[in-house]
Amino acid sequence: MAALPKRILKETERLMSDAPPGISAAPNNDNLRHFDVTVAGPDQSPYEGGVFKLELFLPDEYPMNPPKVRFLTRIYHPNIDKLGRICLDILKDKWSPALQIRTVLLSIQALLGAPNPDDPLANDVAQNWKEDEKAAIAQAKEWTRLYANGE
Amino acid sequence: MNTNHPLLASLADEPPPFPDSHPQLQRLDRSVLCTICKEIFRAPVTVTCGHTFCSECIRSSLSVMTDKKCPLCHATITEGSIRRNRAMEEVTEAWETARDSLITLSQPVAGPSRRRPPPEPNSKSSSSTSANLKRPRRSDESRSQSPNKISKKSTDHVDHVVSSDSEEEEQVQEISENDEGECPLCSARMAIASIPMHIERGCPPVSKKKSAPGNQKADWRKVFSMAGSTKEKNVSMKRITSPNYHLATPTDLRNILNEYSLPTVGDKPALEARVRQWIILFNSNLDTEHPKSLSALRAKLNAEEISKKRDKERGRDEAVENLKTTEGFAEHVRNSGAEFERLRKEIMERDAKRAKAAKGLEASSAIEVD
Repeated sequence: MAALPKRILKETERLMSDAPPGISAAPNNDNLRHFDVTVAGPDQSPYEGGVFKLELFLPDEYPMNPPKVRFLTRIYHPNIDKLGRICLDILKDKWSPALQIRTVLLSIQALLGAPNPDDPLANDVAQNWKEDEKAAIAQAKEWTRLYANGE
Repeated sequence: MNTNHPLLASLADEPPPFPDSHPQLQRLDRSVLCTICKEIFRAPVTVTCGHTFCSECIRSSLSVMTDKKCPLCHATITEGSIRRNRAMEEVTEAWETARDSLITLSQPVAGPSRRRPPPEPNSKSSSSTSANLKRPRRSDESRSQSPNKISKKSTDHVDHVVSSDSEEEEQVQEISENDEGECPLCSARMAIASIPMHIERGCPPVSKKKSAPGNQKADWRKVFSMAGSTKEKNVSMKRITSPNYHLATPTDLRNILNEYSLPTVGDKPALEARVRQWIILFNSNLDTEHPKSLSALRAKLNAEEISKKRDKERGRDEAVENLKTTEGFAEHVRNSGAEFERLRKEIMERDAKRAKAAKGLEASSAIEVD
């Protein structure tokens, strides 16, 4: 195992000892660049009460390149596709090495609270969201109950 | 939560933080940290928007960015706009030397000893025994050289960087002796080294003014020949400008690597990666009062390359190994089975559609076919 940059160690330590509310992240025992993450659906969102599993991977070039994050739990969200890929600017062109795992996960949590159907990744979901927001939200709640019940 | 994780053990030799009772000191402590590596500034530099980073951090982060922006405020910046921040370097160093004593002072006076009680028995012992109130990095160097600092600054940094550490101090001494100084008795100017002799002779008028620079020249030659004897080439200590990697041939890249006595093995991507990394290391090494020797830089480059290679191979092996075991394969099937099925269906449908379309076309325009 190649030497981990001190920064990754420090971030990990802080994540484990002082995690942001509603978020947990712990590295795999055999690959310290690979994190198992859970994010609680934010209050007053269709995902409230759900616990979403994600995986996060720090590439070699981290922090020069963004971490790779993916939802493992199915979620009905216009910016998250069925493979769990996330459309979030800071995970792509807006990444900055001054950001960190903590800020990324907080942004993802915020994305759950503020879906943006105008910049969709899952086109069908975004379409529904725009045409009939109520139905889409009901669908999201249903999926949260079905898939994100923390089991 | 797994608090016995190996990670936490390796962080044990971190310097202790300031207690919560001193938020202002905590803030000061944070303000000398680079926002990229989260460590205390090494060779701090400032970019156009005024934000400061370690030279190596900002250079390597710019090298991977397609549109180059400040990591903190997203202002457009260029590598050419990077300027050395000497004041910050001074502050950082001063803070590092003062930090431990401040921690001691900020601790509530409870124990019998006024010395900071080490939080872990082995955590800081090495640094506190070797130099009781200094942190390990730069510890002795910065202190012991401080009397020479002025003369050192007035001379060139060239040999200072080229030589390995042990020779470095000798040479600094030597050069400072060759600087001109005033005789305390007759205030004639001459090389500092020759002042004692001059006084012993009873202050004869200095007639051979030209001998001093000649002497210096000889000494410089000596310096360089010494550098040569430690197998260092006479490398110019100027910033390297990046070549145009699209146009550069492998030979061009090899020439650059040769110039700095670096390995020239590998294909073009490997050479390019090595040149890029070297330029980052080399240029950021010029942004500090305490540059590392070139051999140390080479060792660092080599270590980085090896660890990267190992990581790459490891990842691949693991993926392949995983597929070999039945559970691994089963898991792979479970994970990607549905997706595979979907793609297969899609292709089948597409083929069917195309066949149908082709048939329709044939039927309607059989004449045009050939």
